[in-house]
Amino acid sequence: MHELTPLLKFAEGNLQIATLVFMASVYVLKIRWILSFPAGRDRQTPAGASNAKRGAAFSLLMIAMPWTLASFRQHSLRYAQFVVFHLGVLLSIVMSLLIPYAPRLIHAPQVVLGLQVAFGMAALAGLFRLVRRISDRSMRAISSPDDYFSICLLIVWLVSSAIAAPNHPESGQLALLAYFCLTAFFLVYVPFSKISHYLYYPFARWYLGRTLGHRGVYPLVRDHAR
Amino acid sequence: MHEKVNRQAMLSLEACVHCGACTDQCHYVLANPDDPTYSPAYKGDQIRKLFKAHIDWTGKIAPWWVGAKSIYTDKELEELMDTVFGKCTNCRRCSLVCPMGVDLASFNRMARGLLVHVGVMPAGVAAVAKDQWELGNQMGVLKEEYLETLSWMEEELEEEYTGLHIPVDKAGADVLYAINPREVKYDPRTIAEAAAIFHLAGENWTMSSEGWDMTNFGLFNGDDDLGAVAAGRLYDAAQRLGAKKVVISECGHGFRSTRCEGPNWAKQDIGVPMESSIFTMLDYVRDGRIQVDPARNSEPVTYHDPCNLARSCGITEEPRELLRAVCSDFREMVPNRAENFCCTGGGGAMSMSEYAPRRLKSASIKAEQLRATGAKVVVTACHNCVDALVDLIRHYKLDMQVKLLVNLVSNAMVK
Repeated sequence: MHELTPLLKFAEGNLQIATLVFMASVYVLKIRWILSFPAGRDRQTPAGASNAKRGAAFSLLMIAMPWTLASFRQHSLRYAQFVVFHLGVLLSIVMSLLIPYAPRLIHAPQVVLGLQVAFGMAALAGLFRLVRRISDRSMRAISSPDDYFSICLLIVWLVSSAIAAPNHPESGQLALLAYFCLTAFFLVYVPFSKISHYLYYPFARWYLGRTLGHRGVYPLVRDHAR
Repeated sequence: MHEKVNRQAMLSLEACVHCGACTDQCHYVLANPDDPTYSPAYKGDQIRKLFKAHIDWTGKIAPWWVGAKSIYTDKELEELMDTVFGKCTNCRRCSLVCPMGVDLASFNRMARGLLVHVGVMPAGVAAVAKDQWELGNQMGVLKEEYLETLSWMEEELEEEYTGLHIPVDKAGADVLYAINPREVKYDPRTIAEAAAIFHLAGENWTMSSEGWDMTNFGLFNGDDDLGAVAAGRLYDAAQRLGAKKVVISECGHGFRSTRCEGPNWAKQDIGVPMESSIFTMLDYVRDGRIQVDPARNSEPVTYHDPCNLARSCGITEEPRELLRAVCSDFREMVPNRAENFCCTGGGGAMSMSEYAPRRLKSASIKAEQLRATGAKVVVTACHNCVDALVDLIRHYKLDMQVKLLVNLVSNAMVK
């Protein structure tokens, strides 16, 4: 095993732990903040054959059922980009934990290649999303500096993930150092940016689904004949 | 804003990632593809920036970074009014296609409420809300006018239906029938048709002399207090008369306000069951309490799902079952049910004449949907939709009539 430089050792270990603790702390505060708003109660008697729990479950799973959302059904390529992009991000998060703590799990060349393909495709999907945000007038109108910065940062991070995936410190530690420094920056930046949308997602979908399930709207009934 | 933002609204304000999935799902955008200010996410941001500036701490730390901005001038207030009243019918289509579950329609209504609270609203909205506050209904119908109309309809039906009576304030009736003031003002035949249906079904029913209006402008102008008072009048009538059930005539927003939102606004659990007249008529047909002949409605018919019924109350299948029972040629329009496009009359749009050209332009989407069906009759279950559809059919020169379900059921009835 090649000896890591103290800087890389710190970046892989204590820096990640410190920034993870920081992110978790901010998330705890954020969840407390969410819960400090009173939850509206739907007093109407239930309607239809559904119920609040069924509606909430359907609402949470809609993201995995693109046929239930017209916006995804009509733009299947965008849905594919969404899946590839988020899968790449998830794999990179997992890799940031595996490299320091269980490197053997991603040691096999096939696994490394698989990861690199996933990161490369995710970066490409991110690039498409960035181009759409810049070139489409209606996307520009709704984009904030945070929107542009977040997507750029994620593309760079995914590229650095692809380069760092082989985890070969003996052939140069710069790639790993860049990857872990970027990861650390992410962990600090994410709670303050739109990237933390995954924290809101379950809550937002749960409450919408609960209401619409109680009212018999969810699960949606579609005209399957057309 | 602090008082109005509950957890659901807060999450909708926070969760938008500006993915643009909602953009081409809005009828305003589809009719105005070159104007990005119609995009639901853009409209949402006009409200979101206030939330970010006043409530969200990220907006306080780095306002320019997250797009936080308060309102400082009258012009900015007017712009917000233009967005929330004039560029959105609160149809909720964008809410149902949002991958994140952002309910724009709900917080657009909240923003309307904030503006109404500071006296900024279109003149038509102010006038209608005033009528509902002061006279108990949206159309300024006086009690005498209402009762005279009921008597008039009873007289009209006397020859055809022996012993038909429109009961008023009958205690202990099985059904209290609540209507839209538009029926009194412009379309009293729907009252007569409903009365004939109740009569033939042998229903023990009544109407109320007070609290008879099931419409509720509080849903449109975002004023929960008005919503609570307007719905409360009907709940009081049901309680006073000891009615076993409230039946709400065909009206999308009226049904939603009375059945779904009213108890929330009034902060009161309502003990009396409430149902749309669609269900009542369907039950009569299913149970054989009325006999219908679909051959009597032989023209090709399509159904327009009112937004409030389909996207907020889950009523999509019952009107179709009823239509198939009373019509011989029913055709679906595409898209339909919860994915149907708004008639453009939602959110109180019919009371805001200043936005009529904009509304009619956006109605081109609905017009195309209607045209593609080849139907001669478009049926809906909402008086607002009737007015908006009549308007767009005239504007786009479609060869179609607009009818309510009660018209068709009544016409199909075998006496």
